[in-house]
Amino acid sequence: MDLCDLSALELSRLLGEKKTSAVEILESSLRRIGEVDGRPGSLNAGEITPNDRSRVHAMITLTEDLALEQAREVDRKLAAGEKVGPLAGVPFTVKDIFCVKDTPSTAGSRILANFVAPYTATPVERMVAAGALMIGKVNLDEFTYGSSTESSAFQPSTRNPWDTSRVPGGSSGGSTASVAAYEVPLSLGTDTAGSIRQPAAFCGVVGVKPTYGRVSRYGLIAFASSLDCPGPVSRTVTDAASMLQVIAGPDSHDATAATTPVSDYLSNLEMGVRGMRIGLSPDYFRITFPDGQGGFKEQELPAEIEKAVRHAADVLASMGAEIVEDVPMPNTRYGIPAYFVISRVEAASNLHRYDGVKYGLRTTQNYTDLKSMYKLTRNEGFGLQPKLRILMGMYVSAAQYSEQYYKRALRVRTLIRRDFEAAFDPAGNYRLDALLTPTTPTTAFEMDAVYGDSVLMQYADQLTVPANHAGVPGISLPGGLDSAQLPIGIQLLGADYSEDKLFRVARAYEMATESEDWRKVKPKVLR
Amino acid sequence: MTEYEAVIGLETHIQLNTKTKIFCSCKADSWADEPNTNICPVCCGLPGVLPVLNKAVVEKAVVLANAMHSEIQPLSYFDRKNYFYPDLPKGYQISQFDQSLGKGGYLDLPIPAANSFDKKAYIRRVSIWKLHIEEDAGKTKNAGNRRFIDFNRCGVPLVEMVTGPDLRTADEAAQYLIRLRQLLRWLGISEADMEKAHLRCDANVSIRVKGETVLNPKTEIKNVNSIEAVRDAIATEIDRQVREVEAGHRIEAWTLEWDEDTGSLKKMRSKETEADYRYFREPDLLPIRMTEEWKAKILAGFPELPLQRRARFVEQYGLPEYDADILTGERRLSDYYEEAVKDYGGDPKKVSNWLMNDVLRMINEQGLNPSEMKLTPQALASLLKLVDGGTINISTGKSLLQKVQDTGRTPEAIVSEEGLGKVSDDSAIRTVCEEVLTESPNEVASYKAGKVTLIGWFVGQVMKKMRGKADAAMARSILEELLK
Repeated sequence: MDLCDLSALELSRLLGEKKTSAVEILESSLRRIGEVDGRPGSLNAGEITPNDRSRVHAMITLTEDLALEQAREVDRKLAAGEKVGPLAGVPFTVKDIFCVKDTPSTAGSRILANFVAPYTATPVERMVAAGALMIGKVNLDEFTYGSSTESSAFQPSTRNPWDTSRVPGGSSGGSTASVAAYEVPLSLGTDTAGSIRQPAAFCGVVGVKPTYGRVSRYGLIAFASSLDCPGPVSRTVTDAASMLQVIAGPDSHDATAATTPVSDYLSNLEMGVRGMRIGLSPDYFRITFPDGQGGFKEQELPAEIEKAVRHAADVLASMGAEIVEDVPMPNTRYGIPAYFVISRVEAASNLHRYDGVKYGLRTTQNYTDLKSMYKLTRNEGFGLQPKLRILMGMYVSAAQYSEQYYKRALRVRTLIRRDFEAAFDPAGNYRLDALLTPTTPTTAFEMDAVYGDSVLMQYADQLTVPANHAGVPGISLPGGLDSAQLPIGIQLLGADYSEDKLFRVARAYEMATESEDWRKVKPKVLR
Repeated sequence: MTEYEAVIGLETHIQLNTKTKIFCSCKADSWADEPNTNICPVCCGLPGVLPVLNKAVVEKAVVLANAMHSEIQPLSYFDRKNYFYPDLPKGYQISQFDQSLGKGGYLDLPIPAANSFDKKAYIRRVSIWKLHIEEDAGKTKNAGNRRFIDFNRCGVPLVEMVTGPDLRTADEAAQYLIRLRQLLRWLGISEADMEKAHLRCDANVSIRVKGETVLNPKTEIKNVNSIEAVRDAIATEIDRQVREVEAGHRIEAWTLEWDEDTGSLKKMRSKETEADYRYFREPDLLPIRMTEEWKAKILAGFPELPLQRRARFVEQYGLPEYDADILTGERRLSDYYEEAVKDYGGDPKKVSNWLMNDVLRMINEQGLNPSEMKLTPQALASLLKLVDGGTINISTGKSLLQKVQDTGRTPEAIVSEEGLGKVSDDSAIRTVCEEVLTESPNEVASYKAGKVTLIGWFVGQVMKKMRGKADAAMARSILEELLK
């Protein structure tokens, strides 16, 4: 057992008891990274070798010097008897979509490969202020556009620690893989349609998408501004709650950050679920997609996934929760089409600033005028995903199509929101405290299996995207292993600002399943 | 010959004089700053930054909307206007599109007789079609093959205000800008200096046969940076359009650029199709919720507007329109005038005369601020009373103005200290009169030969010798007596 195998909570305890130091913890993390991570993602990676195929490749930029400086400061404070923050000495990784001062902030894109941010994102700043040690920036789908991390311009892209021939999910694949491989106990990710929860499910870790606005977006390189949520990745529910406690709250730099007071996520964490109403919805046990003829095709989920969710319901029921069956969430099926439109309109606009004028890549080819500079730069700098999203976003927001697509998608979004309002309404028919669902329609898929088919890739998010439309919080938890020994994720969704309740349900489930066999299995890279 | 009339609408951009920019804490005005020294990650559109609305911008825009009789919307939104340009760092401008802060509105423009066709004054009502808040972009300077970009201006708060096609002459357009500039300064929301681009104007111009109501294709004139230039550019364009139409040509929807040096218009581009800016709601900002409470707070103490005050001055003080117009040209000057009138208690026109002839010259020549002068309205009033009461004569009074301004002492104190009181002692004046007559034998002879108008010259000589202190009427009667 190495220090890096411990949770943030356990590390804090050891530090508090002076049984270890922040520098020792850091060294343990760096050792683990050295053992399992392989070479970091880079622009001109060349051939992917068999050795590469057996590694995790979570990292893009290792910030060990910065982390060492932070660790020494924590140790100095502890030695001097000064007060330290709640995450003192706990290493964490940051999805490379957050700006960190004097550190490359690449968004996984060639166009920002040389961009060194002059300021630090609010959530990162809060982590550091809480004493956490930033150990590196981790890989992601380019500009977070994807569900497998394969679309990063920085290759080799991250691989799943449970089976390195499979994807870690995405776009926060580097975050969840670094946590799953026990490189760090915590990571900061972002979730726009499921980009924390889906890779958390694939990698068998805890991933939280907080209520929209609960965590400041300042310094998060925007994808779809009205949907983006920074959130924690961890191995335990308690660690996720501690981390959210640190990063949540209003921010004078983000007008959309909620001013609602932040709940205490920790005090009642282990109060159990007696009397709580937990819903199951048939609309989350199948995926539905357009058949191209104006109708919809339905597909049942793999039995193992449904079984894991029903097992979780049984566990919660045995602890005194009331399970409410057949909660209708009829607009779930429109989540992906509406998301396709809204996210691309915002993404296309958010990508305008990468024009070769101010920072990032500018073409080195000869250009004759401004327009050709723009074209060459953006053509060289953006990978396939940004290009597709720009095309789609420009198309559906054009004056003549906007009503038909964008404005219609916004109305659909309102309908999805109403599904949740009805389910969580304390005076309504269902009065749920949480909705329990699978996180993903499948477990981790093979590398290259889906990549390139952006529509199919998108359906990996069907069960997670409704929460982004509605703005409500969601958590993905490890819920067992399938027959291929791959993690299955289960998801809890709640009403606005009900993270405290979700953590409580999640922790109850975690405690009740502590001794189940699958909990003892470690990812393959560590076996 | 066909008679044509012009149809003109103006698009103005008004730079609000807030301390800081609209979405970050950089200072708003960079007039004296080196390029790219007043910038931050937010106004430069770095990856990951977010805008945070400066409330003062909303408040100043509300004041303007109120003055323009625009309906202030309880809920308005920001939108993104997407386009690529190097000095637009985010690739979109944060503006307001379909649900902006102000809805409708108008300005009643008094057109003086001098600027009118038939030499009769009239009122032109100019409707307001758009009134919204937005951020400014940076500046691009082309130097040969290279472009230099200054981001200092990015995020400077603007109000864009667009009029309906209600103006009919180049003079009316100029009047609109004169009145708008006056109003902006009066309200204290913009420096409104066109030369410094605090107030920018594009003009849309078309013509039609007089009496028709159709709107013909229009041209847009850009790059006009003074009121005179707006007037000249529009007049030039109207002439051109008349010539084109008379020659049987169609007017094309061009964008024109005014060249100040040559006094001519150049075609910038054809404007066949409207650009698609792909407007959508700015997801990074909350809507502006203008509660009744907030609005009331902003509009508490909303001042009487210049045109209202002008009318009142005519009505209440019996001033000629000319005086009223000048005295209400600037708010502090009109406040000064009213205070002086109140303190003086005599004929308001007399105060106006002194103010317009003498005090205003001091103000203009010395760049004074009427509200901070040492020659306070109270001092002016007591000075006038000294003249009225015969303690000093008018010329002493006029020279006192500058003395009060220089020293800050009261007129009474200066008069008594410097012995400036009028000399009405018969013998003292008589002595000087005798001196003057002795020294001017030729003039005495002429006078006696019948050139009696010389009396004024003799009085002048006496006043000169007595440094203006003599009672002129007394000097005159003594001189007449001595010359008999």
